[in-house]
Amino acid sequence: MTSEAKSHAIDISSMQRENRTLQLDNEIHTLQVQNLKLRYGDKEALHGIDMLIPKNRVTAFIGPSGCGKSTLLRCFNRMNDLVDGCSIDGQILLDGKNIFDRAVDVAELRRRVGMVFQKPNPFPKSIYENVAYGLRIQGINKKRVLDETVEWALKSAALWDEVKDRLHESALGMSGGQQQRLVIARTIAVKPEVLLLDEPASALDPISTLKIEELIHELKKDFTIVIVTHNMQQAARVSDYTAFMYMGDLIEFGVTDTLFTNPVQKQTEDYITGRYG
Amino acid sequence: MQFEDNYSSHISQQFNDELEQIRTELLTMGGVVERQVHDAIEALLSGDADLAEQSRKVDKQTNEMELMIDEQCTTIIARRQPAASDLRLIISVSKAVSDLERMGDEASKICRHAIELVNDGESQRGYQEIRHIGSLVRDMVKDVLTAFARSDTELAYRVAKQDKSVDQEYRTAMRSLVTYMMEDPRAISSVLNVIWILRSLERIGDHARNMAEHLIYLVSGTDVRHQSLKEIKKAVREDLEK
Repeated sequence: MTSEAKSHAIDISSMQRENRTLQLDNEIHTLQVQNLKLRYGDKEALHGIDMLIPKNRVTAFIGPSGCGKSTLLRCFNRMNDLVDGCSIDGQILLDGKNIFDRAVDVAELRRRVGMVFQKPNPFPKSIYENVAYGLRIQGINKKRVLDETVEWALKSAALWDEVKDRLHESALGMSGGQQQRLVIARTIAVKPEVLLLDEPASALDPISTLKIEELIHELKKDFTIVIVTHNMQQAARVSDYTAFMYMGDLIEFGVTDTLFTNPVQKQTEDYITGRYG
Repeated sequence: MQFEDNYSSHISQQFNDELEQIRTELLTMGGVVERQVHDAIEALLSGDADLAEQSRKVDKQTNEMELMIDEQCTTIIARRQPAASDLRLIISVSKAVSDLERMGDEASKICRHAIELVNDGESQRGYQEIRHIGSLVRDMVKDVLTAFARSDTELAYRVAKQDKSVDQEYRTAMRSLVTYMMEDPRAISSVLNVIWILRSLERIGDHARNMAEHLIYLVSGTDVRHQSLKEIKKAVREDLEK
């Protein structure tokens, strides 16, 4: 190109979409799942899963009911320890260390890997105390630290403006969408590294759902997020990477944009286009 | 990738019907445009001004079909939020109807110039070139519609390849017509009509190639626009090996 022609060229680099440059191999991985098998009694629910969860990205798990996506999610903070007859083989590395190691303190693991459930579960306490709860049980009681953290967490959860004047009112008086954002604020108040969201918006109305989705987008700057959702459009909207699971196997895992426009596996194609019987 | 018979396997029968409908309508519109192109060339070569006039009237119909199919595509996107091959079908159909509509416009232009040429009753200078390029372009239109009907990417590739030959023939024809005009300035006005017709034929070829590219995207998921023939061939081959 001559220098004259060059000067007439418009810089289109800003039109390059971030998602076009995403590549799993180029990511830093917060969690590494290695040959993970899980059994409930005699029944194997996960048949040897291998996958990497990238840091500061949103990874969505999709798949039909019973495919193992929630089971896998619950492995990341050992919630399955509470299930009778559940046994696990293989390992999950969090920053290089196996979370199933005997030496691992499960309470500390759950602080580092926070979880939000389908149904908002605020404690029957004030809004303030809900968010401060995690800090208090860690022994942090300094008012200034608590105040700052509660404000930061509520702001991060896009809830501060709505509740700043009624911090000491009961959390149970909030709407479902607000309660869910409060639970997210409570979870991030203890500064976890990973945020697990199990159908976080499925009990909410469309507007609250959009607020949660917007929040997820904001939160990925600070946290690694893994979300399980039945709503495929939601997975397509919020996630950077999507994993499709079917009957305890990871069928396909890749960049969300590619998976929803041109999936590699026929099973994935059938599922996302509504061809499953 | 197995692609045929794929629109009938959704859980929602209604969705099956909607996708099948836009595909059928695209092919119907394709049939109308194919006829328009055929009639335009025929009218010119046989000096049939009535046929040219009739063919021009069909253009209104193709415009309406474009609007109807596009509206249907918008509705499906809004109601079904299609993904993967369904989404690619809708995007490809929506783009293909634009190309078809433009082909119809070009056919209409050919008819207009044909009527002028018939009325002038001048010599048939350049008709040989029109016959030759017209035949190549008609094949392209027919083949690209067949490719759409059968999801045949290899045939689509051959359409893209044929466009190269058309472009070459067009340039050659231009050179000889320009020479002719220089030799005999009295023939300029009639030769200009021939040039516009050749230009329209060449454009129809370009639109057929565009459609071929949309089909390759629909079937393989690879966007081959602005790619060389070699790269298109590679994309088609890779898809067939899947």
